[in-house]
Order: sequence, then structure tokens, then C-alpha cells
Amino acid sequence: MQINFGGREIGIKLVYYGPALSGKTTNLRSLHQMTTEGSRGRLMTLETKDDRTLFFDMLPLTFRASGSSARAEGERTMTLRVKIFTVPGQVLHASTRRLVLQGADGVAFIADSQISETEHNAASFLDLRQNLAELGLSLKQLPVVIQFNKRDLDRVRSDDEIGALARRGREPVFKASAVNGQGVLETFFGLLHLTWTRLDSEHQLAKMIGVKSDELLPMAARQLGLTGEVSTLLSACVGGSLDRHTTKVPA
Amino acid sequence: MTADAPNVLIEDVLLDGRIRLEDLVDRDGLDELCRSFHALFGIPVRIYSSDGALLADAAGEQELCAYVNTTPGGRKACAAVVGAVRAHEPGETGDVVHPCFTGANYRILAIEYDGRRVGRLIVGPFLPNNLTEAPPSLFAIDPAIVPEEAQALLPKMPRAKAETVTRISGHLKAVLDLILFSGHKAHVTSTMHLASVRESYRQLEEKTGRLQEAFDRLKELDRLKSNFLATVSHELRTPLTSIIGYSEMLVEGLAGELRPEQQEFVKTIHEKGEQLLSLIMGLLDLSKLESGTMRMAMRTARMEAVLREVVSTLTPTARKKGVRLELDLEAGMGELRGDPERLRQVFLNLVENAIKFTPTAGSVTLRTRMVADAGEGEEEGLSLLAPTRSHLEVRVEDTGIGIPPRERAKVFDPFYQVDSSSTREYGGTGLGLSIVKRLVEAHSGDIRIEDNPPRGTTFIVSLPQVAPTVSEAPRVTG
Repeated sequence: MQINFGGREIGIKLVYYGPALSGKTTNLRSLHQMTTEGSRGRLMTLETKDDRTLFFDMLPLTFRASGSSARAEGERTMTLRVKIFTVPGQVLHASTRRLVLQGADGVAFIADSQISETEHNAASFLDLRQNLAELGLSLKQLPVVIQFNKRDLDRVRSDDEIGALARRGREPVFKASAVNGQGVLETFFGLLHLTWTRLDSEHQLAKMIGVKSDELLPMAARQLGLTGEVSTLLSACVGGSLDRHTTKVPA
Repeated sequence: MTADAPNVLIEDVLLDGRIRLEDLVDRDGLDELCRSFHALFGIPVRIYSSDGALLADAAGEQELCAYVNTTPGGRKACAAVVGAVRAHEPGETGDVVHPCFTGANYRILAIEYDGRRVGRLIVGPFLPNNLTEAPPSLFAIDPAIVPEEAQALLPKMPRAKAETVTRISGHLKAVLDLILFSGHKAHVTSTMHLASVRESYRQLEEKTGRLQEAFDRLKELDRLKSNFLATVSHELRTPLTSIIGYSEMLVEGLAGELRPEQQEFVKTIHEKGEQLLSLIMGLLDLSKLESGTMRMAMRTARMEAVLREVVSTLTPTARKKGVRLELDLEAGMGELRGDPERLRQVFLNLVENAIKFTPTAGSVTLRTRMVADAGEGEEEGLSLLAPTRSHLEVRVEDTGIGIPPRERAKVFDPFYQVDSSSTREYGGTGLGLSIVKRLVEAHSGDIRIEDNPPRGTTFIVSLPQVAPTVSEAPRVTG
């Protein structure tokens, strides 16, 4: 996270991680399509001719947060810049993955639901853990959500299986079919919720901006042109805990 | 961050890098864009960076402005307006109008990228559509301004509706945004590319360092092993020489006649002592060859003599086993450069081996021939050079038990035996062939194994022939 007091800006970096061809870029494209122009910037992608991500994709989202209550001193509008990155999934881009992961505030792990991809998912998750360790980070500290993508395909792990796995795990799990836009917003808001909660509890961001902690997500959703409730999006989570980073909040 | 963390920090580029207009666009290109805009719509346009530096200008002086500037008051007022326009921040909306005393307007628009203001676009001066007469403010600037002349120049100034200016400047901003996005994308991509390369390089360096350390450690271990082997072999040999010497003296009766049984026992001691000695000598040779300390007395060696000696030495052994030993020498074999003693050791070992693994009534043949070097297929001047190179091929053919193809490379490893039970049946330490291979290689030669149909093995030793020197080559005379 970066805070620029002078420019009244907060920069948050979210990274979509996962094995090759699990649909990270597709998630970003869908998110781009489902949001209105006001808050989202251009989707920056860099792909090879066979549609494989070469370096990363980046989708910038910018929210203007002006406090409706609990106004901080000299309160003006604060800009919250969320940049979502994808890493290149192919094994050979290991160094790029580590570079993109630098300074990440939250990670969405995009897994492929196909049973045949089980090992690739696991290997990529271990790769994430290893890269975080090399950056001096650990999965324990970092907000992470897991998305089981490609629910629309055959031969995928069943809903029951995913539900059972998710309930045993710590990370919130979302099911998605990114290519159809399903589960994309849910995953994003799940991650944003987790990340915001964590950063807010550490840096008192809400107070700094002059909003209530639980006002920010609905504010972001409105600016992205979404009409539904954020709580509805978050309720799509099938397991894990969306509140694991709230415990640190000092009263 | 741990010590292993990448040393390249690219967060600034990726997350919150201050994007500067002047860094992302080509100045000349921006100038061209503004000129084409000017040519298309007739309205002057300038682009400033966020810190007020002029980046592009397509705004030739208007005739009215030139006229006003001829008067001292006009010059001063004009400079004041231009300065004010440059300093005018376009406010919250990012779009303001700044009027000029001539009645013309300037539109000042914020150029935004990624939600941040990165510069300003100044469009104008242009006349509002409804202005037909020069305003009194123009004449008040300086009494020297003649109203008729100013009025005559007024229509030459570009004229545009506010909406038109909004539309065309919106278009220019959209074009600029695309240029900025492309520039930004290229910038982050190249930064990322460089960072990735540096990161991969750092990783490789680390790995190379670790490999080098491991390699150095292994080399040191290898050296210690060779030293140990040499020392132990040497220390073993000294007392063994006494055992052999004294047992020999006992057999020869120097300490009095022995009973037949005693004689038999002492002979066994002597024989086993000799076996042990040859094993130790083998180990010594191997460790010297491995450590590169084997001294070779290289000189001109006559192979015919070497091979004849080998055959005559081993003929009794062969005869005892009922194996036919033959020598088939090609005429004109010539000489080669080598250590005759070591070459003798090579062939003694190979022929002895062949006899050992050939059953009674079989045969072992030592055959030589000169082979012209085929050379590398792509080499330049091959047809000229190849004939000057040849090597001597010595084949040791037996009709023994043979060596399966997959074992052929391994038989040259120290202590390797194709079948460990063969050690008991045929004896031997498994050192001979590894020494042979190293000796042949020390002569720049090579050794390989082929079948000897229908049964048996052929060991083929190739030794390079000394190439004729230029002076030995036949001279062509006219």
C-alpha cells in the first residue's frame, strides 16, 4: 500500500495469481466489462500472439471517497486507487511473477476447477508461497481469497466437493465462470473487503479518509456502477472466513 | 525483506509512479499533432506540462495581436493576458475560459491520465461566435490603437462556438489519452522487461555461485581422494615388496629346503603377493592418471615392435589355456608418437583380458590397419586436410563371452565388472580397462568396443599417426 498524504491518495495493489490458463486475465476483462467508465481505467494487457500473458495485465480502479460522517481534520475528497494485476501463469515467467507480487496488499488465487488441473493449482499455490517467502511475506499475513474458475466446463470438481474443501480451509472461496462474468465481482469484492479490513485495522484508513469502515465498499460499488448490495456479493463466499483480518482492530 | 528478495523495485512504476506527460510522449510528435489540429480547425493550441513547461505549440501570432503589440500599452497588456492564461488552473471541472481584452477567449482544459492531471491544453485565442465588433476594452489599452484598423483585423481571428471548441478539444484530449496510454504501456512493459531480465540474471548468478561452490568442494574432495589413494598404495607396496622377496627366497631354498607342502604354501603366498602388487600398481596408475601426474615418456614408438612383444609375452598364457593367439600386421604401419612402455601396457592388458574371457579352442587376434581420418563433415578445406591425417587402428578380437551393448561404456569405469560373479570365475580387479582407457586418451586416442560376430568382442584402439610436416610433403616442381 502507498499513502500519499499531499495528494490525498491511497494506492492498493491486488494481484490475481494462479496457474497458466486458469482465467486470470479473463477475470480482469470481465471486471472491466461489468463496470462503468467513471471509475475504471483502461485495461492494460500485454499478451503474446497465442493469448498468453507475457508480463502482466493491469486494471486500475479509482474511487473518490468523501466522508459522510466522522470527518477528519481538513477533510477533503480522498482518492483510493486500486490496481489489479495478473501474473503470467506459465512456469518460465517465475521472475516476473515475483516482481509483480512485490508490495501486493491482497491476492486472489484463481484456480482451475477442472479435476485434471488439480496438481497445477497446488503447484501454483506452492509457487505463490515460495515467492512470498522470498519477498519476506507469508500467506498468514496476506489477505487471500480463492476462486474456483471455469465452473461452466465439464469434468470439474463438484460444488459439494468445493464446499467441503472450502469449509475446511481458511481462505474465503468463490466459484466463478469468469468468461461469463459469473463470480468475478464476488471474488473482487471478497478480496477488496479482506484487504480493506486488514489495511484499515493497521493504518486507520477509514478515519483518515473520514468514512466509516463499512461505508467504503458500498461506495466503491456505486462508483463502479453496480446496483446490487455488496453484502449479496460477499455472501457468495462458500467457505473460509471473510472476517479473519478484523480481529486486530483497536476500538 | 529477506536477503534473497529481488533487488529490483518496480513498485513505483507499477503502482503509483508519477506519470509525467513529457516522459510519455515524443515532443516533436506532440508538436506535429498540435499543428495538424491547428491546420484542421484553424484554432491555435498549446500543450503545457503540469509544471508549466510548454511542450507543444501551434499558435502562430494573430494579425490583431501583432497589431496590438506594436503599441507599448498593447504589448504590456498582451503579455499580462498570456501570462495569466498560462497560470490559470482549470479548476475542479478541468475546463475554464479566460477572456482577452480583444474580446477573444482562451479555453484552458486539464489533461488527465489515470485520474490525475498531467498537463494543460490551451485552445485559443478564438472569437466567440456572437462577437462582431471589437470591444471597448481593446481601445482602452492604448490610445495609439486605431479602432478602424483593429476592427478590420478582428474578422481574421478564428471564430468558434463554445460547443465546437468543447467537441474538438474533447477529441484532442481523447487522442492524447490514447497516446499517453500507449506510451505508459510501453514504459511499464520495458521497465518490467528489464526488471525481469535482471531478476532472472540475479537468480542465475545465485545458482551459478552455488554450483561453483559445490564444484570446488567436489574438486577438493577428488584431490584428497587421489592423494589418499596414492599414499595408501605407496605405503602398502613397501611391506608387500618384502613379503614377495622373502617368499621368493624361501621358494628358491635360500633358507633351506622346504617340504613339498611348505613349498606349495609359500608359492601361494608369493602368487597372492604378486596379485596384490599388481592391484596396488593399478591403483597407483589410476590415481596418477586421474590427477594428471602420470609421466609419459613420449617419443617415436614403433608399434610393430610393441605389438610383437605383447604377443610373445602372452603366447605361453594363451597356449596354456588352449587359445590361439594371432598377430595380423598391415604392412607399412610406421611409427607414432607415444610412450612405448605405456602402449605395451595397454595392449598387454587388452590381450590378456581377451585370452582370459575366451574359452579353450577359441582365438584372439591382434590386427592393425591404417585408417584415413574422415574429419568433420562441415570443416573447411576437408578434401585437402583429411588426407594428411590418419590413425592407426589396433583391433583385439576374441571369440569369448562378449559384452552386451549397454555395458560397453561402463566397462571402462574403475572397479566395474559386467557380472560381479565373473570376478570369481575369471579373476581381475576391474581396474585394467579403466587404466587402458586413460592411457589411450593420454595418447590422444580413443577406445571403443564392437561385436566380433558370430561370437566375442573386439576392442578397437585408435591412435593418431604423426601428421607429416610441411617439409616432408612432396614438392611440386615446374
